[in-house]
Amino acid sequence: MAAISTSTAPAARRKPATNRLLIFGFLSPTLALLLFMVAFPIFSLINYSFYNFSVLRAASGRKWAGFGNYEYLLTDIDLWNRFVFTGKFVLITVALQFLVGIFVALRLEKNFRGRDVLFTLLMMPMMLSPIVVGFLWRYMFNSEWGVVNYLVSVAGFDKLDWLGQTNNALAAVVIADTWMWTPFIILLATAAFRGIPRTIYEAAEVDGAGAAFRFFRLTLPLAAPVLFIALLLRLIDSFKQYDLFFALTGGGPGSSTETVSFALAKTAFSYFYTGEASALAVVLLLIITGLSLILVRHLTRLSARY
Amino acid sequence: MSVAHRTLSTRAANWLLLALLAVYIVYNLGPIFWLVISSMKSRMDLFSMPPKIFFTPDWGGYQSVFGVGVGANSAAAIGVFDSLLNSVLIATVGTAAAVVLGTLAGYVTSRYDFRGKNDFMFFVLSTRMLPPVAVLVFYHIMYAELGLTDTRIGLILIAVFINVGLATWIMKGFFDGVPREVEQIALINGYSRLYAFRKLVLPMVGGGIAATAGFCFIFSWNEFAFASILSTTQAKTLPVKISAASGATGIEWTQICAAGVVLIIPVLIFFYLIRKHLLMGMTFGVLGRR
Repeated sequence: MAAISTSTAPAARRKPATNRLLIFGFLSPTLALLLFMVAFPIFSLINYSFYNFSVLRAASGRKWAGFGNYEYLLTDIDLWNRFVFTGKFVLITVALQFLVGIFVALRLEKNFRGRDVLFTLLMMPMMLSPIVVGFLWRYMFNSEWGVVNYLVSVAGFDKLDWLGQTNNALAAVVIADTWMWTPFIILLATAAFRGIPRTIYEAAEVDGAGAAFRFFRLTLPLAAPVLFIALLLRLIDSFKQYDLFFALTGGGPGSSTETVSFALAKTAFSYFYTGEASALAVVLLLIITGLSLILVRHLTRLSARY
Repeated sequence: MSVAHRTLSTRAANWLLLALLAVYIVYNLGPIFWLVISSMKSRMDLFSMPPKIFFTPDWGGYQSVFGVGVGANSAAAIGVFDSLLNSVLIATVGTAAAVVLGTLAGYVTSRYDFRGKNDFMFFVLSTRMLPPVAVLVFYHIMYAELGLTDTRIGLILIAVFINVGLATWIMKGFFDGVPREVEQIALINGYSRLYAFRKLVLPMVGGGIAATAGFCFIFSWNEFAFASILSTTQAKTLPVKISAASGATGIEWTQICAAGVVLIIPVLIFFYLIRKHLLMGMTFGVLGRR
């Protein structure tokens, strides 16, 4: 990747300062934006998280709280429940998306007429606004006149109170989130499967390997690097999911479908406990940063390979 | 097990798998179809049980949403003109700025090695990864102090912020696909780096710039969390407006469906235009290079 030293050697030797100027000139606007919109806010949040204060009562000032806000978070049983709920949601929804997504990607491997058109159509849900998706499913999940309950009753089951009961509401969000994001897994799994050389399968065929062997011992391991990227991205995105819950359940019934993001929004913008909210934001940022670090490392590795 | 028997059971299994695929296709495509036909239903038809697939179209929802015809005078009409204008302005300007920044940064990171490059790549992608609500705790205060709360400028800044990482990574992917010989030859012929970039390399990634712009537009068009906290009246975008359509009279479903269709039409148009670059866009330019 030594671009300067190899491909442009003469120019670089002649005027290295020009290159440095170009790099600086091209990067500085983005860098300025990042410092202003990422670095500065994060440092301020860390700072705020050690104080007891509220934006509503700015006049009464900030009181140094040490690790008080963090201690409060650790002992807040409600917040623990939000983390447990978020974890439950992330695990169920991501697992389901992978199961369905890999299944559909395998089914669509074989070429048939109209496959590419169908494939493109199937990708639509992930591009839609989560707010519209949330309201659309809320509309379809209505217990009295919703189309979902109509289908449930046609199938011979009792109508469900989808959004009025904790477990049903969780199922509803999972169904909506899976609807929206399974296409993403289909997209990446298809790319991963296409990247596997045919010759490997031909060799396995000669050896008389069965379908199960081929899938679990060849397809999955060889697709793993790409699928791992998909997994990390889905984990990060579903962990911070906010819009969909906002529109679909509003965090209810009660506060049983509130994710950590939701709880944070409430702390910061309904109760205006700015100090505590900052501490929780810092915790969230740490978790996301950890996951993102792994993601970027793998992205860089994949980028070098492809 | 006889051979005939085995082929029979394989055939049954194949049919089962096909049926499962069909169920998925209905699950995937059904809701969008349902949204579109619901937006054309009258209030009566919307709540009828069993739900109607055949009905006489009624444009009441659209009329209320756009404030024309009979629906205009109803007290519950949400009226989307202002928010639609805000959305178009914010998404367009935000996209343009993000694409310019991303093109410059993507070019430099594709062509040069410099100290801290990996850190920069991580730093810039963090704009896509950060949970909006977490940074909002601070933006909420910062925007109020800078007078940016409820302004289009403020939300344009957000639109640039959420897309600059994505744009940088995708554009780096497109620049990586342009051979370095292009600049090499230009330099040998006495042209400057900047000239080679502007006149030779940029035209070669025109399709990439368009695809990046498509993605950025869709994401800023759909953005909700930031806009919902940072806009109160003047700068409200369409998603925020829709989310507020559940007022005292309950949720205005006819209007939500109509406004939902209005919101997704541009998305579907852009989606159609960038469909070939979907893999690239969704993996930050790492996969699907051509």
